[in-house]
Amino acid sequence: MRTVATPPPQPWVAEARAERRESFRRRMAAADLLVAVAWTSVALACGLFLAAGGAATTSLHDVGSLFTAAGILTGLAGTDLLLVMLVLAARVPLIDRTFGHDKALAAHRHIGKPALYLLLAHAVLLTIGYGISDRTGPIAETVTLLTSGRDMLLAYLGLALLIGVVITSLTAVRRRFAYEAWHLLHLVSYVGIAVAVPHELGQGAVLAHGSLERLYWIALYIVAFGAMAVYRFARPVVVSLRHRFRVVAVERVAEDVVSIHLAGRDIDRLGAEGGQFAIWRFWSRETWFHAHPVSFSTAPTGGTLRLTIRSLGAGTARLADLRPGTFVSLQGPYGLFTDRARTAPYLSVVTAGIGITPVRSLLEDADLRPGEATVLLRASDERQQYLWEEVVRGVRATGGTAYTDTGHRPRGRATWMSAAAAARGVQLTTIFPNLLQSDLYVCGPGPWADLVVRDARRAGLPRHRIHLERFEA
Amino acid sequence: MRLRALVYSLAGCAAALAVTWEIGQAAAPRVTPAAPSAPPPAAAPTPAETPTGSSASAPATSAAGPSGTFSGSTAQTSYGPVQVAIVVKAGRITDVKALQLTNQDGRSVAISAGAAPILRTEALRAQSAKIDTVSGATYTSDGYRTSLQSAIDKAHL
Repeated sequence: MRTVATPPPQPWVAEARAERRESFRRRMAAADLLVAVAWTSVALACGLFLAAGGAATTSLHDVGSLFTAAGILTGLAGTDLLLVMLVLAARVPLIDRTFGHDKALAAHRHIGKPALYLLLAHAVLLTIGYGISDRTGPIAETVTLLTSGRDMLLAYLGLALLIGVVITSLTAVRRRFAYEAWHLLHLVSYVGIAVAVPHELGQGAVLAHGSLERLYWIALYIVAFGAMAVYRFARPVVVSLRHRFRVVAVERVAEDVVSIHLAGRDIDRLGAEGGQFAIWRFWSRETWFHAHPVSFSTAPTGGTLRLTIRSLGAGTARLADLRPGTFVSLQGPYGLFTDRARTAPYLSVVTAGIGITPVRSLLEDADLRPGEATVLLRASDERQQYLWEEVVRGVRATGGTAYTDTGHRPRGRATWMSAAAAARGVQLTTIFPNLLQSDLYVCGPGPWADLVVRDARRAGLPRHRIHLERFEA
Repeated sequence: MRLRALVYSLAGCAAALAVTWEIGQAAAPRVTPAAPSAPPPAAAPTPAETPTGSSASAPATSAAGPSGTFSGSTAQTSYGPVQVAIVVKAGRITDVKALQLTNQDGRSVAISAGAAPILRTEALRAQSAKIDTVSGATYTSDGYRTSLQSAIDKAHL
């Protein structure tokens, strides 16, 4: 690794800065609006109670009615949050373009527990509230509710399913499951949400027959489940059938890494950008039951596609044996690790190991000016220098700078670079002289990437300039 | 940027709550009077059999049928009494007024308040007490039908 002096400012920089600032401004305007829509939907859900005259039937002097009102409100808000979660996980293109797939799913995870707590509160508060009104205790009231018909039984079932789904999604528990098993279990949440509908429409007065509130509520379900059905399930099938990707060749890049070359129809119309990924399924007898989230490792705009995959488990190891002609289906493309997401004139990139793959296609797809891109490739040892040659060649061809850093990280020191580089006092700002005028793209194993982000933040790079793609290693 | 999202969200939430509150208030007069205005007829142990308008035998509209307001009997449900009155013009039910609705507690009031407009619409359409039960408001529906039938009987429709 060596350092260079700050290059003189180029005439294109100011123009690029204005352009990217504008595109960032637009994206953030959409993001803020979507956030506001989500929160407003929660308020509107609570408002349904008011619109149905809830305030008039709730009396401060009647403890039962207070519990009942709180129970209805928590139920409405919790259910609305569940539907927001569905939309966040539905891979809606607008949401992916605005927040990125990972941020949308992070928000989805973030809301999960509060939504469940609200629904638990809904059940408890209403049981207490009804109990007080009926002059019985919570246990007797639970029996009354449980025996009051099919709707309520289904509602209790739905709640139990949701509790199960949230528990299996807690990080500690989730690790015990294979991804596929966990995902199947997670799909149960759709059932949990759906079976609660009869009691919502049948029991309370808030969503009474023929009311506008009822129409709105049903519309919410149609939007959420519709988004799921269209973008999560129908669209991948349509895209897969339209493009008919097939394996052309499997090329061994390193001991544990293969590149899979794909051919398909109308790849241009896939709408993929360099740096994005898709969730791939290879339809051979040994591999069809695993889906692999893998980035494009060449710009997905030409006549063929290339995916470069490191085997992390048994599923990925079997990919090396794929035969040419194997049908390949995909969900995607997804992700904002792209040129489109840039907010500043310069481009700084740090990768480690197999994290190089999205960067490879990002750099190819970006229209780079001389001096615009600076790239640092890291590997623990020589065997991990996947795709280095072609990336370095590509960066230099556009007039950019490429550095490499090979060697294990020093023990007992929280650094993302090799012991040798750390000993020389190398810093992000010495590698990337234009760091503060650039977007920093980081791709590699999670804990390593976090250290790069830490240094970038310390150097004064704002959070929105940091684009992170973490790999679980 | 995040600040703007917060401001938008707060504005959206405030607007949503204000509008729904307003709708609730506008709807309230239809909802609440049922209970407060009930006491006079409810106080009478035997349902008032006094048509307040012209009686069934009124000659003015005899050809077309009876006219007037007829109160039904009070139907007792587990969640409180239900009583309706019908307004009849020339043999047709033109309105159904809920004199009393299940009022045991906030929940019952909310349920019957939601059900009453539907039951009324049904009754006006059916011109009889053969109306469907509103799901989630079974007791109110039963009481409503009973009281409605007795009012219809009284009007000799």
